Order: sequence, then C-alpha cells, then structure tokens
Amino acid sequence: MRILIVEDEPDLLKALTRALRDEDYAVDTATNGADGLFNAESTDYDAIILDVMMPQMNGWEMLERLRKKKKTPVLMLTARDQSRDRVKGLDTGADDYVVKPFDLPELLARLRALIRRTSGQTSSDLEIGKLKLDLRARKVSLDGDPVDLTAREYRLLEYLALHRGEVVSRTDLYEHLFDENDTTLSNLLEVHISNLRKKLGGDFITTRRGHGYSIE
Amino acid sequence: MILKSIKWRLQAWHGFLLICLVSGLMIGFYTYQQRARLQAVDNELREKLTLLLPRVAPPGGRGDGERRRRPPPDELRFDGPADFSPRERNFESGAFEATGFYYIARSQEGRRSSSTNAPQDIPFPEFKARQGTTLRTRGEFRELIHAVPTGTRVLVGTSLATALAELHQLAATLTVIGLGIVVTGSAVGWWLAVRALRPINEISNAAVKIAAGDLSKRINTSETESELGQLATVLNSTFARLETAFAQQQQFTSDAAHELRTPVSVIVTQTQSTLTRERTPQEYRETLEACQRAAQRMRRLIESLLELARFDTGQETLRRAPFDLANTARDSVELLRPLARLREIAIHGELSPCEMLGDSERLGQVVTNLLSNAINHNKEGGEIRISTRWETRTAVLTVSDNGPGITPEHLPRIFERFYRADAARTSTQGRSGLGLAISKAIVEAHGGSIDVQSRVGIGSTFTVRLPLATRPES
Repeated sequence: MRILIVEDEPDLLKALTRALRDEDYAVDTATNGADGLFNAESTDYDAIILDVMMPQMNGWEMLERLRKKKKTPVLMLTARDQSRDRVKGLDTGADDYVVKPFDLPELLARLRALIRRTSGQTSSDLEIGKLKLDLRARKVSLDGDPVDLTAREYRLLEYLALHRGEVVSRTDLYEHLFDENDTTLSNLLEVHISNLRKKLGGDFITTRRGHGYSIE
Repeated sequence: MILKSIKWRLQAWHGFLLICLVSGLMIGFYTYQQRARLQAVDNELREKLTLLLPRVAPPGGRGDGERRRRPPPDELRFDGPADFSPRERNFESGAFEATGFYYIARSQEGRRSSSTNAPQDIPFPEFKARQGTTLRTRGEFRELIHAVPTGTRVLVGTSLATALAELHQLAATLTVIGLGIVVTGSAVGWWLAVRALRPINEISNAAVKIAAGDLSKRINTSETESELGQLATVLNSTFARLETAFAQQQQFTSDAAHELRTPVSVIVTQTQSTLTRERTPQEYRETLEACQRAAQRMRRLIESLLELARFDTGQETLRRAPFDLANTARDSVELLRPLARLREIAIHGELSPCEMLGDSERLGQVVTNLLSNAINHNKEGGEIRISTRWETRTAVLTVSDNGPGITPEHLPRIFERFYRADAARTSTQGRSGLGLAISKAIVEAHGGSIDVQSRVGIGSTFTVRLPLATRPES
C-alpha cells in the first residue's frame, strides 16, 4: 500500500511517516499543496493523508483540484473542529476527517478502513480458500497455521488479495508497494512472488504473462 | 406584580382621575339643579304670599308707624277664635288648592284661617323678629313664613314631593350617565395604554429572544420617528456591538485552540509512534527534540496570550523611564542582523536621537517584531529601512520593506489577533500570529498609534507614533 502524506509541519510529517512505515506502508511526503497535488496526480496512491492549513495551496483547494482527475481516497487532517469545516471537507470530496490532535492508533485504523472500503471489502478479515488474512494484525494463516511473511511479502499478498480476480500489472505493484525512496530493482518483485509461492503453495498466485499477477 | 405593570398603573390613575372628574361634574350639576329647583319653588311661594298678603294686611300699610296706628285688617275674616278663612273660596281654590299650595294665617290672638288642604299640625316657629320672611324645609314640605307687623303670621307652603322625585330621577340618570362615561373612558384609556405600550412589549419580547441566544436577530424599527423607535435603534446598535464582541471572542478562542492543536498533535503523534517499538537512541533523541520544539511553541503562544490578556485587563504596567528610541531601534537591528544576513536582506538605518519617556524594553519588543516581520516577509536580497525622527512633539518610528506587500483585503485586519495574510501557519518560524496585535497593544498603552501602508509588489511601511506627552502617570 502506498500512501501520500501532505503536511507542512515537519515534526508532525516525520512522526506520521515513521508510524506508517512501521506499518509497512510505502510512504511519500509533500510539505505543501502544490507539491502534494503534483504527486497525487502522477501516482496512484492507495490513500492520501491531507492537512488543511498549508502554505501556497491549502488542503481544500488541493482536494478540489485532485477530485477533477482522481478518486484516490483522502483522509483530511485539520486543526479546526467546527462542524461546518467538517461538512465542507466531506462535501469537497474527502473520504474521512480527523481533527488534530488525533490519536495515532485511531488514525491508522481509519486509514486501514479507508483502503479496505475502496477495494469493496467491509471486514478486516479476508478469506481465500484455505488462506486467511488478518488485515488489522497483518497476519496470514493457511489451514489455521500461521505463515511467517516478511513485510514486503505481506503487502504484496494483501494488495493482490484486495484486488482479487483482477490482473494486477507489475507497474501497479511497483507503484503501490514501493515509495520514492526505494531503489528496488525490478527483479525483486519476482523474488517476492516466488517466496510467497514457496510459503503458500504454488497455485494461489497465477502469472498472466505479459499482463501481471492475480489471485483468483 | 400587577401593581408594578405600567399598563395597570396607568389604568388605575386614569380611572381614578376619570371617576373624580365625572363625579365632581355630576355632583355639581345635581347641586345646581337642586338649588334651581328650590329657588323656583321659593319664588312661587313668594308669589303666592304676594297674592295672599293684601288679604291679610291692607295694601300700602308698609311702614311700621302706620301699621301700629292702623286697626287690624278686616280683609281676612277670622271666623272664630282659632280659625279664619279667606273671604272668597274662589281665590283659595284657584290660587292654592288647585296648584298644590296651602296657606295658614294666624293672628296674634291665636285665631287662624287656612286653606282646606293645609295640614293641621304645622308648627309656627317662635321667631323673634316682628316682621320678615323665613324659609324652611320641613320634611318634604317647603314653607315660607311671613310675619306681618300687626302680629299676624302667614305661612305659605307646598309639597316638595314632585320636585324631590324629579331630583331623584335626575340623580339616577346622572349616576347612570356618569358610570357610562367612566366605563367608556376606562375602556378607551385601556385601549390607548395597550396601544401605546404595545411597541414596548414588542421591543421587550424581541430583546428577551435576542438575550436568550440569537444575537443576530434585531428589533423591528419601522417607527423610527417615535421615541420608541429611537429606543429600538439604540438597543439594536447595542445588540450589534454585542454580536461583534461575541463573534470576536469566539473567533479568538477558536484561533487559540487551533494554534495549540498543531504542537499538541506533534507531541502526541511523535510519542505514540516512537513508543510502538524499541528505537535507537538517535530516534529517541529526535522525538524528544521534536517534542521540545512543540512545547516551546506552546509556551511562546501561552506567553503571548497572557501578555495580551494583561493589556486587555489593564494589568500590564509599563516601566517608564527616559530613553532614546534610536538606541532601542539600533539594538533591535543588531539583534536581527544575523537573520537578515541569512536571507541576504540589507537593513538601512536613519536613526536620529529621540529622547523620550516610555518602557524601552516593551518598545524594543515592538521594533523587533516589526523588523522580524519585515525580514520574514521580504524576498531574498530585499531591503529594509528603519528610521526614528521627531515630528511636532511626536516620536515617529518607521520600518519599511520592499517585499511583496500586503493586499488591500488583508491590510485592515493584520493587527487582529491570529490574523495572517497567508492562511497557513508558518510554524517553522514559530510565529503565533499575535506579534502585531501585541505591538499594537504596547504602542496604544503608550498613548501612541501604529498603522501600515502597503502596495502590492512595492512593499510595506509600518509607522509608530509616540506622543512626547508620554509622562509617568504617577
């Protein structure tokens, strides 16, 4: 999962980035609305955390301009808790709204819910045959036995599972699993896929040559 | 409760006066009628007496001496020792009985003569006068007693029953009319009072509603000409001021909360994310530093808020002493020169000596604030000019920059608390949005003024004017 954080307060941005990376998200950052909009338009993020009060272009404006092109889920962060601000945020196209100072676990839960809802999933437990994914605890089990996955392997499996039935291209996977700071070589994706197949059994992930991967 | 209502008090006074007036008039009218009636009866009695007298006393026998010398009249024939009657029955029935009058004549010797309808037991008053006329009311009879010089007394009387009945009738009519007037008058008075007081009720109802919460409501002032219209206008302007004050207060509170939210969220998020797992000493250090920055920011904000609150409540006292404003300005310039150099901004000073009385530390704060604003809002490589000079008993300090300037929509509001020309916090510089508000409070506490001129693309000039009459108050 790849997340964009747009926040002008550097200490808050740093803490949020660290918290999300701890949760194995790929994280990109921007410190103003203009940069944020550029990032959001050029990359398919799984979610955007957007601060309202920012120099140059504020959160409202950025959201409004983004919505003309993309439906990326947006979670607004604001220091104003008046209900008219909340109404404005939701009307402008924000998908959720968190008032500062927020509780970090709550923010992370809302972010998970936002990503889950976008893929049409309502529960935080996902079952594919014998395979079971706990999206909240980021745990995978096969026939009731826990499977030990690395963070990357888990995110890769989660992404494919949330897009079950679709063919996910390699570009897509790169976009959603790695952030700007990753200097991953393309063949690393193959390594993760082959490791997953070893751990889960070969038939879960199918390869569509020339198109990408999918979980049926 | 009812006694305190203006409407009821008005009504009570109105009713009381109306009753006094009407009953006075009615009683006066009745008394006049009664007198007139009695007067008429008396006049008739006198007429009858005039008719009767020639028969009791000879005509022309008016003088005292004459009467004494003359023999008793013979026109009236006394029929017996205690009785006498007029000679002509015709006269009696014509002049007396038919008209309801009666007479009794009694001679000195005790002989009497009377009309047939005369009551028998009429007492003759024992009056001392030998002659003259006396009127009296006995029961419902009115009687005129005349003493003839010869000693004969003649009494002419009539019943007042008819007159009294008529007067009673009149009294009853007057009472009914009076009551009618009082009732109608009270009703009209009530109507007038209600009508006159209705706008007051409307005003007070509207005022109650407004006071109960909705300060945006106003009293209807359609009758602006009347006194009540003026009252409503005054109330409305008071409400408008209240509304503004409330809105400002709310804005201020919300702004202050907003300013505190960001550093608090830094602390919460930093600590929560750090504590989720073991970190390296370097990471702990970074977290602590971030928390410290946030805490310092809150401390500065709280200090600024308290400072403003002290100015608002007049608790902030200035330590006034003679000092040179030029020196203060020079100190501020030296303090901020490193920051200016960092942004490659040149500061030019034209500081002529300005000896004055005031709180040099506070005014230094003002100069520093203006200068740091000029540096922070200037473009790189810009210029700042600071000057102090005298202008007709006023010390003038100006700080100008050639930065981007302030747009006219922001210009009137930049001295407001938490107002920022750019909507975002520029948190990195740790500014609270209170600097200019505090500067303004300090200058105004000195009896001075601060204003700004700005043109977009050319720059801004802040001018502080401090009157020479800034003397210690004690």
